[in-house]
Amino acid sequence: MEKILDKKQIDGWIAALADWEVLGPVLEDGIWTYQPVSGAVRLDHPNTKQSPKGLAFPQREIFFSFEQIKGEAPRLTQVLPKEQRHAVFGVRPCDGRGVPRMDKVFTDHVEDPYYNARRKNIAYVGLACNKPPSPNCFCLSVGGSPVSTDGLDVQMTDLGDRYLVKAVTETGKALMAAGGKLFAEPSAADQKQLKKTHADAVAYPQRAIRDPDGAPAKLKASFNSPLWEEMARACIGCGICTFLCPTCHCFDINDEVQNKAPLMGQRVRTWDNCQFPDFTMHSSGHNPRENTAARLRQRVNHKFQYFHENFGMHQCTGCGRCVSECPVGIDIVTVVNKVTEHAG
Amino acid sequence: MINIQDIRDTARDMLAKGEVRAVIGYRHGTRGMLAEPAFITNPEQAGELVWDPTCFHNLSLYLVEDRKFLAHLNKTSAAPIAIMAKGCDARSIVVLLQEHYFKREDVYIIGVSCEGSGVVDERKLASHLNGFQALNAVFDGDDFVFTTAQGEKRLPAREVMADRCLECRNPFPKENNVVFGEDKTGRELAVPFAALARFEAQGTGERWDFWSHHFDRCIRCFACRSVCPMCYCDECVVDSITFPVTPATTAEEKANRIRWIERSATRSENITYLMTRAMHLAGRCTDCGECERACPVNVPIRLLNNKMEREAREKFGFEPGASIGGPSLVASFLDSDPGDFIR
Repeated sequence: MEKILDKKQIDGWIAALADWEVLGPVLEDGIWTYQPVSGAVRLDHPNTKQSPKGLAFPQREIFFSFEQIKGEAPRLTQVLPKEQRHAVFGVRPCDGRGVPRMDKVFTDHVEDPYYNARRKNIAYVGLACNKPPSPNCFCLSVGGSPVSTDGLDVQMTDLGDRYLVKAVTETGKALMAAGGKLFAEPSAADQKQLKKTHADAVAYPQRAIRDPDGAPAKLKASFNSPLWEEMARACIGCGICTFLCPTCHCFDINDEVQNKAPLMGQRVRTWDNCQFPDFTMHSSGHNPRENTAARLRQRVNHKFQYFHENFGMHQCTGCGRCVSECPVGIDIVTVVNKVTEHAG
Repeated sequence: MINIQDIRDTARDMLAKGEVRAVIGYRHGTRGMLAEPAFITNPEQAGELVWDPTCFHNLSLYLVEDRKFLAHLNKTSAAPIAIMAKGCDARSIVVLLQEHYFKREDVYIIGVSCEGSGVVDERKLASHLNGFQALNAVFDGDDFVFTTAQGEKRLPAREVMADRCLECRNPFPKENNVVFGEDKTGRELAVPFAALARFEAQGTGERWDFWSHHFDRCIRCFACRSVCPMCYCDECVVDSITFPVTPATTAEEKANRIRWIERSATRSENITYLMTRAMHLAGRCTDCGECERACPVNVPIRLLNNKMEREAREKFGFEPGASIGGPSLVASFLDSDPGDFIR
């Protein structure tokens, strides 16, 4: 289903999505984030600071609450996310491609009830990138495209004063159906312009990982390369790259005690981070990834080797956030290129 | 004006003569306009060094890392390391020297004066560019000139310079072995502590709302701590492991460790983290502003550190990093102190 939506009608479409909480990109405190919007949504954002992964995989998820009165058995109460449908507008294709990768992790081998409860209620309304929104975009290098529909329910393409809106999934069709008469049939000229816009988008120069197909084997062969130490020399060991990443999904689980007597608290899952020194710290004090070189290698190899071995696709979607936001200039495009070239 | 070639020649010369083990400086990164830290050990690489308005980093952090690495190798001394240091960075080095983190002869300070300029604030720049990114930055004496995918943009330096630089009280690295650029101390682009004064002009309720908003937004990536040369503790109160674990550490000791801060990035935990950090930086923070720059979600961390700095200045006339032999704020006292608790 492909329709035309006049830009003046987008607020009307959003108002028609009464069963959904609609989120859109909002510029606040100098950064773009996805926030609930009512009525008006602006889609002139480059990309958001954080990916939308937190909608299905929030930084803090309560698993269950516990309480125990002294002498009695502990009582556990599962806390599942509340049923709320979310339609998130303005999702860039790289972040759309992050969704099936997160699905692999949380639904392929195990059914994570918390992730699933949220995920099944989220619709991703994408916005194609007519031009790369960041100079560090490299989606084309990792099997993606600025016009990819992978992971999206709806794809919107900006055609100047109107959008071409395409339903990708059944959920997407339902979202568009809610807009009813706000949508018009695309003319032959609209289709022609769409084709040209998409072709131009794909032709627009991006940064490039030069041998993405060879990367898994070459990274494997370069595990002990001295390059890792050299490239991680500036790494400060913060968590920006993984916390902003659309596909990093490592977590920690802790019991947070709110009251000692009677004992009350919650078991929570929080994002964890392979770049933190204590991520791999053993209780013996031994740390198998004892320096930044080992930790940088872990992140890069996970994106371009381990995930590929497990699921047959690169985990990285080329959004460029880790490149743009690293305080000290560590650049995954350069890192992968250097290692793969060194491996010959 | 600094001629970068002079710095390159100095670096090349020292490396060739073996006077220093390495030169820590800046070079062009591989992403857009930004400089990145460079670790030069080969004289032939000295030509990579750059100096421009994107040389944000307080490189003294890497002197700390180097000491930790030497300690890991059970070494206590090695040939000195040369380091490019702006005024604020040089004051950080002075604080580290006051704290005996390393010795003066361990470091060769290549001072670089910011002269009439400073570093770019990426956030301010972003607000001028409507979220798009610049590819190149040049300071032409009055303005910063940026190249973006949408064309060239000329902006008055004051509009895009980091607050830390506008408010800088001493852009000249007084402690140095060699220095490049003119001493333009006292240039007064903005009143010191201006941002703090603006903030404090608000009422209590507004200030609480402001901080509640920002404490809620912190994602606890710890970039502020990681980028800070003063946050060098082996054990940090916020980590899940808050004491060094050795094979001799018993299970009971591990189980009974005090967990000061939960991993959840919630308001209460974020307050505890950020306030603890601010307290631990009192008298030590030289307002290099790296914490605020590194923060991916723009929490105005610098206000917290500025508050502590101004308190120390007003109460004790204390200036962090002023001189190596000078007193430190929390490790010195006067016999004439009226407080009984100190004796």
